[in-house]
Amino acid sequence: MVLRSRPIFSLLLLFLSSYGFSTAFASGSAIEGGEEDFSEELLLKPLPDRKVLAHFHFETRAPRTPSYGRHHHLFPKAIAQLVKKFHIQEMELSFTQGRWNYESWGGFEPIASSNAKPPGVELWAVFDVPPDDVDASWKNLTHSISGLFCASINFLESSTAYAAPKWSFRPDPGSLRYGTLPREAVCTENLTPWLKLLPCRDKAGISLLMDRPSIYRGFYHSQRLRLRSAKTSSDGTHSSIILEQTLTVVLHPDSQKMSTVNSREPTLQPSWSMSSLFGKKISGTCVLAKSSTVYLQLDWGVVRELKNLENGNQVLGVASIMEESFVSNPAFVLSDKPDKVIREVDSRSEESAILYEFSVRKHSDLGPFDLGFTWKTPVVWSCPQLPLRVSRFLMGSGNERGAIAISFRSARAREGLTHAKSMGESCKVDVNVFQVVPWYIKVYFHTMKVFVDGKPLAVSDIIEKIHVSPSEDKVSPGVLEMILKLPCTVDSAAFTLEFDKGFLHIDEYPPDANQGFDIPPAVITFPTFHVNMHFGEDNLSKKSAVLSRFQENIPVRSYTEVLLVPLTTPDFSMPYNVITITCTVFALYFGSLLNVLRRRVNEEERFLKSKGKRPSALSRLLSKLSAKLGGKRVVASQSSARSSSFISLKLILKIILVAGIAIAWQYFSE
Amino acid sequence: MYARFCFFSLSRMATLWILLSLACWNSFAGASSSSSSEASMHTNNWAVLVCTSRFWFNYRHMANTLSLYRTVKRLGIPDERIILMLADDMACNSRNKYPAQVFNNENHRLNLYGDNVEVDYRGYEVTVENFFRVLTGRHETSVPRSKRLLSDEGSHILLYMTGHGGDEFLKFQDSEELQSHDLADAVKQMKEKRRFKELLIMVDTCQAATLFNQLHSPGVLAIGSSRKGENSYSHHLDSDVGVSVVDRFTFYTLAYFERVNMYDNASLSSLFSSYNPSLLMSTTYYRTDLYQRHLEQVPVTNFFGSVMETIYTDSPYRSPQRKDSHKGDIRMSSDQSIEDEKGKMPCEADVVDNGDLDAVQQGLLGYIWSDLHMKLESFGDGDTLVYYGMLMLAPFLAVSTWISL
Amino acid sequence: MEERETMSSTTTKTKPKRSNSEFWIWFAASVAFRLVLIHLPKNLHLSSRPEVATPLTSIRRLAEGYWLKQSSMSPYAGSMYHGSPLLLLVLGPLTVKRIEGQPEHLLCSLLLVIADIVSALLIRSTGQSLHKSYVQHLEALDLFKFSEESGMLPSGDIAALVYLWNPFTIVACVGLSTSPIENLAILLALYGACKGLVPLAAFGWVLATHMSLYPAILIIPIILFLGYGPDAPPRKLFLQRSYRKCGTSSSSDQYRKTEDVTDPLELRINFSWRRVMQFLLWTFIWGIYFLLLCDISVKQYGGLSEMFKRTYGFILTVKDLSPNIGVLWYFFAEVFNFFRDFFLIVFHVNILFMILPLAIRLKHRPGFLAFVYLAISSMFKSYPSIGDSALYLGVVALFVNELADMNFSFFLFCGYVGVSLLSPVMHNLWIWRGTGNANFYFATAMAYACLQIVLVVESVSAMLNHDRKLRKITTAQLADGKS
Repeated sequence: MVLRSRPIFSLLLLFLSSYGFSTAFASGSAIEGGEEDFSEELLLKPLPDRKVLAHFHFETRAPRTPSYGRHHHLFPKAIAQLVKKFHIQEMELSFTQGRWNYESWGGFEPIASSNAKPPGVELWAVFDVPPDDVDASWKNLTHSISGLFCASINFLESSTAYAAPKWSFRPDPGSLRYGTLPREAVCTENLTPWLKLLPCRDKAGISLLMDRPSIYRGFYHSQRLRLRSAKTSSDGTHSSIILEQTLTVVLHPDSQKMSTVNSREPTLQPSWSMSSLFGKKISGTCVLAKSSTVYLQLDWGVVRELKNLENGNQVLGVASIMEESFVSNPAFVLSDKPDKVIREVDSRSEESAILYEFSVRKHSDLGPFDLGFTWKTPVVWSCPQLPLRVSRFLMGSGNERGAIAISFRSARAREGLTHAKSMGESCKVDVNVFQVVPWYIKVYFHTMKVFVDGKPLAVSDIIEKIHVSPSEDKVSPGVLEMILKLPCTVDSAAFTLEFDKGFLHIDEYPPDANQGFDIPPAVITFPTFHVNMHFGEDNLSKKSAVLSRFQENIPVRSYTEVLLVPLTTPDFSMPYNVITITCTVFALYFGSLLNVLRRRVNEEERFLKSKGKRPSALSRLLSKLSAKLGGKRVVASQSSARSSSFISLKLILKIILVAGIAIAWQYFSE
Repeated sequence: MYARFCFFSLSRMATLWILLSLACWNSFAGASSSSSSEASMHTNNWAVLVCTSRFWFNYRHMANTLSLYRTVKRLGIPDERIILMLADDMACNSRNKYPAQVFNNENHRLNLYGDNVEVDYRGYEVTVENFFRVLTGRHETSVPRSKRLLSDEGSHILLYMTGHGGDEFLKFQDSEELQSHDLADAVKQMKEKRRFKELLIMVDTCQAATLFNQLHSPGVLAIGSSRKGENSYSHHLDSDVGVSVVDRFTFYTLAYFERVNMYDNASLSSLFSSYNPSLLMSTTYYRTDLYQRHLEQVPVTNFFGSVMETIYTDSPYRSPQRKDSHKGDIRMSSDQSIEDEKGKMPCEADVVDNGDLDAVQQGLLGYIWSDLHMKLESFGDGDTLVYYGMLMLAPFLAVSTWISL
Repeated sequence: MEERETMSSTTTKTKPKRSNSEFWIWFAASVAFRLVLIHLPKNLHLSSRPEVATPLTSIRRLAEGYWLKQSSMSPYAGSMYHGSPLLLLVLGPLTVKRIEGQPEHLLCSLLLVIADIVSALLIRSTGQSLHKSYVQHLEALDLFKFSEESGMLPSGDIAALVYLWNPFTIVACVGLSTSPIENLAILLALYGACKGLVPLAAFGWVLATHMSLYPAILIIPIILFLGYGPDAPPRKLFLQRSYRKCGTSSSSDQYRKTEDVTDPLELRINFSWRRVMQFLLWTFIWGIYFLLLCDISVKQYGGLSEMFKRTYGFILTVKDLSPNIGVLWYFFAEVFNFFRDFFLIVFHVNILFMILPLAIRLKHRPGFLAFVYLAISSMFKSYPSIGDSALYLGVVALFVNELADMNFSFFLFCGYVGVSLLSPVMHNLWIWRGTGNANFYFATAMAYACLQIVLVVESVSAMLNHDRKLRKITTAQLADGKS
């Protein structure tokens, strides 16, 4: 359908481009008129630990229309039908590989708190259907998404795999479902259908850069698909669906290319360019895109360093980085001249991030666009940290029981805490924990303990609010949501919870059962901290999707590690042994007891005749003892009938022999 | 439901209306099959490619499957008609030195994992059960079309399996086994459901021939890499990847197909005769007694390629019954979701009506019960009441015992 | 261990004064021993042993249920707690209360110790009354000489001490499992039945059945107790004897009747329906009472139906597959789901099936019948713990005299010791070291089941033989009486 709609849009784009970007507002108003539009952006950002963050952001928006079979020009039909069919208000699906390094890649910033995802697959969706149908639509949604993205997301269908958080994950009416698959593999087959949702797949525009090997060689990549619905007109009659596709990659610029330039200073950050990162250049734009822009972001940390640098060597004033004449910048060189320099206006600190904006369309007119970034002097900086560094680990040994511990360490993020001080009257850090535990981890909630700075505290005065739905065997996972109120001055806090490890049926173990089972990561939110960057002119947000995302006021969120819990496995090899032996024991009991009971008297008589008068061990012992103690003569006690245990004795011996052989064989056969 | 599913899953497909026609053929199999004549024409080609073994050291099995996948795609079977089952993820495996790439040869000329593979079943989904569900088409209602084998009575199906096997079995993921009887039964069921016209089963595993012993459905052609008692070996080891990357049988099959393009009609017999036991280090076994036509006349593209024959139909527009079937499914799953809710949190509401329920069930006693409730409501806290009750027990017990003395 | 206790207390046989004092000394010693063990740190990690803490008897699960209840959730929400709500109300608060400087759960363990003491006393008095009736009957049969020869042991004291000093009992008590309380209820029922205290018997039976389903089958021995009175030699002997009497005294029928009436023992021969009816009446009353209490306590959590589903349902459909000393957990972990229901039915029927034959064959010895039932149910119940074994080992010691010549008693003793040493080792190898295999632990469970089977079979046959021996002697007496 794309092919058919291309001419129309090339016309429209001609019209737009003739007016340049000043008509962006007009096109924005055109949205309300019911037009669809698509914008692609790429944000590049050097990271402190010699890596580079690349953040692709594609956004398609279409007006919600009651009619079913609407023809979409740009908006992917598959997604549109998902929305229609399952009445999805909001949905987020992320495929991630690797772990976001909160320490060195930053946690207190928009990209980290909205694009750092747990490894594997995370899916949550909000439906607007009656509460009884939510689970049904969730089930169908998982199946259809698994078909769309070539992933086994349909494992989230079973009620043991997903949870319905009340308030902690995000405030919502309660028709939210949340599920994660920590062990889901993420690879090309997931990226390809995701790219096919773009108007011009990966054939033109920024998405040209997505060379699979170089992306999957990265340290971290998270491919995300977010569906939102926004009120475009004030009265809310016109709402529009916004499909937001982001791919966040942390790449290591291979320094071989750049080493020739400056191999002397080892401390120098590696220089990089698009071609060195992705092995490709942007040649030609996606004509369907309203705007296709490349941003280069410098953290406020970098900016501060640069300023110090300039103040150090007293070249012309502080302004120089902000000016267009960045060529005189002593720290680094950009291969292309930015169209615009946007600086963040920040309430928190005097330094603030800087974005250089490059319009792909402008640059790619003359040859393929390949943005290069070359450091001239070594610069060391650090990223804005989370208010509290969160990590989660297991305690205890053995496969019978253990304990989960979540530990919070103050990351000395001064600006974070001062921020909190400024906003909180009695300085408390709210920490919002949302944890889903699979049912075979049987958590004892009464063993909840909280330690602040190493001292155990009463749970009640740290936990402000808690909601628990305990796990039901083979029915539902355990969900724990709570709000901890920690003092700002806290150095370290820990929260522990004991659990028993369950035992599963032999069929419920996965093929690689001995690898262990995953506990999905806990979602830690800091509701009192918000990351948002403000930029001077606000029609930016109209123009650029990324920047408008940055300006949104979202709370800081981080994910803990996935925990791997080894469970004891039964013996998979031969269930038949167990079944047969157990049944044999039952037969033994039944047969011998019945045999004893049905003996008639005359046989007994014969028995008595046959056997001589031999008292049994116990009676002899007793009589001897009694004789000794009582000082009496030992009198041979009355002849006791030898019981009918001949047969049963034989039986027992046989059975025990058989069982012993079976067990021994079993043992040696391993 | 089909209609809707196909709508969105087709949006990524090129040949929209062929599949629609297939869908309706499939869903109306009962009606159409009764009417249709026995000698149905060859309508389309399907391929089911299964790699059954997990873990990194079985890299070569995935490489086998992917090479076959590439071949059939090259010879014209579109992605929507290939069901690809990969038991593990090798391409992005942390042990893989070449991320997102899979090679079946030392000279890494060809990246099998190209830019658009569509894996339909992967990881833990590759089980014997799912395999049979795909073959026999007995899925849950909510399984998307891309995961179904929507073949009809005119389809030619290529079924390729590789993994670790033995005498009359093939291991799935090292945990469960596919027995030759099960395979035969599945094929028989497919035949009875008119899901294929001709079926070529190609198996690359040890003692592959034994897997075909129980087959007895007409129109089935089977070829295995080795006879009973023989192993089928891997071809060569790639020292960069660190494991052997392809099995001999598959390697020479590919070598044959590299010479074939979509349009020439090399016959199956030429394929079968192309295997050289001394190179394979095992003797290929093929079973033709269930197959009517002469292998000389049958071009390989009958199974490994595809003929684009399109049947126009307006079936997608008469789909009311599918809609209400979908509704039914919703209802079904919705009330089980209610149970889930109960299991999660027994909220006040259903507790209350539980109480009434008891009253109804217990009959007379129950009514006494319920008005006892009413009385007890007047007392405040239940637990204190129970405590009093339990305290009451002692004197009551003592008195009664004393009386009975 | 029975033997050991027997020896220790056989000294008391001849001199009753000393016997009494010695009994109390041993008694106090056992209590002191428990108190010492309680004060050991973390009560020796016994509370999490699989032998002690089954899903039904574990104190941690009970605490979890209490926590859920306190936070206004159903104690049965989240399949943790599966016991009775009344037990929850009694023990729950004790799990939370702490005394400064004392080990936690101190109150619970004290309560359990008291339960053990009381049940030991109950066993003792039961045993004494059984003993009395036994002697009485022997005298009635003119067999007292014989009994003198064989040497009568004070079975009550022995049984009580066996119960108190049994390592299983001690571990179950110190390990904070709720089984001592269940045992107390069962013993209460038996005591009441033996003493003829109908309401007490009914109360105990209802309570035991309410707490753990299996004691329900004890209703048969209790009814027999109330009907025929405590254990006695088979009724035929008395009939023969009375016949012999009236044979010797040439007289008319009604004369014999009057004589029969005068003979105190003859009363025992005919079944007294009155007390059984009383028992059923009281059972009904207590049952209603308990149901009422439960219903009040679980009113807001789904009512009685929910309670039954979570307690008895959990017991009957073996949901929890965590290892214990029984045989069912591993079986149901390995058996194919398709057959699960079938085997559930088969195994539970296996318990019920033997009830009737045993009742027919041992109807004159209700106490012993009760022991057999207890042993069988502890063999095949879904979540057995060593508390159950402690109970039936204590009860079997009541019949030292009758079972004096039981076979394999030494073998059994060694077997019990061996299994109770080996099973923890295997568990440790499998769960903690990870070197062992589930089959090892399951093998010990198997051996344990076999031992119990041998115990039951042997004791039953010994008891039958004892009766036959008595009959043989009486017939001999009759013979020379005739001549």
